[in-house]
Amino acid sequence: MAHRVLICDDAIFMRTMIADILTGAGYEVAGEAESGLQAVERYKTVKPDLVTMDIVMPDMGGIDAVKAIIALDPAAKILMCSAMGQQSLVVEAIQAGAKDFVVKPFQPARVLEAVQRVIGG
Amino acid sequence: MTDARRARYVALFASEARSLLTGARRELTRWRDDPSALDPAEEIFRALHTVKGMAASLEFEAATDLAHRTETMLSEVRRGSNVATTVWLRELEQSLDALTGACDTAVVEAGGAEPLGGAPAGSSQRIVRVDVNRLDALLSDLGGLVTARQELERRAEADALSPIARAALQMARRLDTLQDRILDVRLAPLAEVFERVPPIVRDVARQLGKDVAIELSGETLEVDRAILDQLAEPLLHLLRNAVDHGIESADVRRKAGKRPGGRITVAARQDGDAVIIEITDDGRGIDREAVARRARAMGILEDRATLSDDGLLVVLERPGFSTASEVTDISGRGVGLDVVVARMREIGASLSLTTVMGRGTVFSIRLPTRLGIVRALVTSIGDERYVMPLTHVVELVAWQADLVGQQDGRAVLFVRGDALPIVDLRRLLAYRGDDPPTRRPAVVFEANGQRVALLTDAVHGQVDAVVQPVDRPSGMARWITGATVLDDGRPALLVDLASVV
Repeated sequence: MAHRVLICDDAIFMRTMIADILTGAGYEVAGEAESGLQAVERYKTVKPDLVTMDIVMPDMGGIDAVKAIIALDPAAKILMCSAMGQQSLVVEAIQAGAKDFVVKPFQPARVLEAVQRVIGG
Repeated sequence: MTDARRARYVALFASEARSLLTGARRELTRWRDDPSALDPAEEIFRALHTVKGMAASLEFEAATDLAHRTETMLSEVRRGSNVATTVWLRELEQSLDALTGACDTAVVEAGGAEPLGGAPAGSSQRIVRVDVNRLDALLSDLGGLVTARQELERRAEADALSPIARAALQMARRLDTLQDRILDVRLAPLAEVFERVPPIVRDVARQLGKDVAIELSGETLEVDRAILDQLAEPLLHLLRNAVDHGIESADVRRKAGKRPGGRITVAARQDGDAVIIEITDDGRGIDREAVARRARAMGILEDRATLSDDGLLVVLERPGFSTASEVTDISGRGVGLDVVVARMREIGASLSLTTVMGRGTVFSIRLPTRLGIVRALVTSIGDERYVMPLTHVVELVAWQADLVGQQDGRAVLFVRGDALPIVDLRRLLAYRGDDPPTRRPAVVFEANGQRVALLTDAVHGQVDAVVQPVDRPSGMARWITGATVLDDGRPALLVDLASVV
């Protein structure tokens, strides 16, 4: 069965792009969220195998969303999606429980590699 | 990335970047009002950050770079190593303008049809771009179908219980739905026009050495593409007027106890089937007395009469009135209002105004959101067809020589004792084709409290016409306000009877 992914990003553009990369490789997009709060809510209902998480989002940022999701499910597999120049935030996200990160602009091969690493590990 | 996929990303970028940058500008206005506020910085930062990520993904280098630099500029203030002074805020505004321009250019170069156009960000994720001519063709076909349906319904009336009548009823219902859907597809967000407002306002303000803040809201509301296309010019005209004649210089404002910087807001809201757009300035207002004096001098206002807001507009919108130089200097807001009003009428919109001396002026545009389907009378002059909305038509009068007479030197038609002035559509059109038929029917209509007999060559019956605004060549009569396609495929022009008298 295809792995199910929850995509969290405030930009439709980014969600579409990630969805295209993942579905092209046989993953199933099980849900999308456009804010940190929504990400946490969707996580509870969708129960995805993997979450991709943007850092800068309205309502609740990505890092706080990671903390909230890990509190709900310590085994949650979360991949951070950051822009260049956000190293310190990425470190903070990893400390909060995110498994790995990819940097925008996305290169499909890099994204898939990271996704496999997170789901496999 | 395949071309089709890239085109889709570009379309998404165009709509989302537009919406984000519009939002950022609104935050900037908020920030100006309260430089100590923190959240505008956060909101603008987030918008820039997202635009940067999207631009980088599409390899739009200039836009990525500008977004990054503006983001850095903002970070300094967020971290506290710089302060949001007036000068700094102006720089930020210029950076946002430059970024919008760079996004525009990138989208156009990438083959996106309209700069930062497309559908609004938010709801729909799969976007198809359609040539507007195809949408117009679809609409014309719809008009034909609606007419055919009336014919079917008329025939089915004879036996309402027959299977054919029931089938006709079902078809009619589906046609209603189809009509709604087709009109829906044509909707486009106001943002496409609002987007052009801040640069123009700033440009005019800069030229005049004025400080004017502009604030927009309601840009996600949607109206028909054809209506939207016709809205830009009059709206921008009202805004130029507001900056030029409404907002005072900083000195004058200070003396009046106002903030030195002027403010203009453009706020749209839904009101049933219509959208109301209010253009508010906090400038000097229109000098009612000065306008009234001039109106009296021109003999269009009685000596002791005063002007209400509605009356003011009636005077100002008189062709030529507001272009008179002695009025523009004193009126505060009047230049070329006749043109604005005429444009509004063409798209079925109406204009109203409220003004208070020293406080400012509000122009309110009531805009239909969808093209209308108008029950209309089909008439002709020579080979040309003209349709007239039935709302104004009182009756049809067949030609009889003894009904025509003269009164006060004008040709009149006697209808049950009333002498109605005759207007010949041939003469209005300056028609130079074949000679008129000897017996010509008159369409009696009522507009502005007056009954008029309009002579045509022939009357052909009624239709439900899907009316589209016309791109008017210069010199086209102002009372031609739309076009439609008849069920036999022939084009017809819509005559706005109210403007004929």
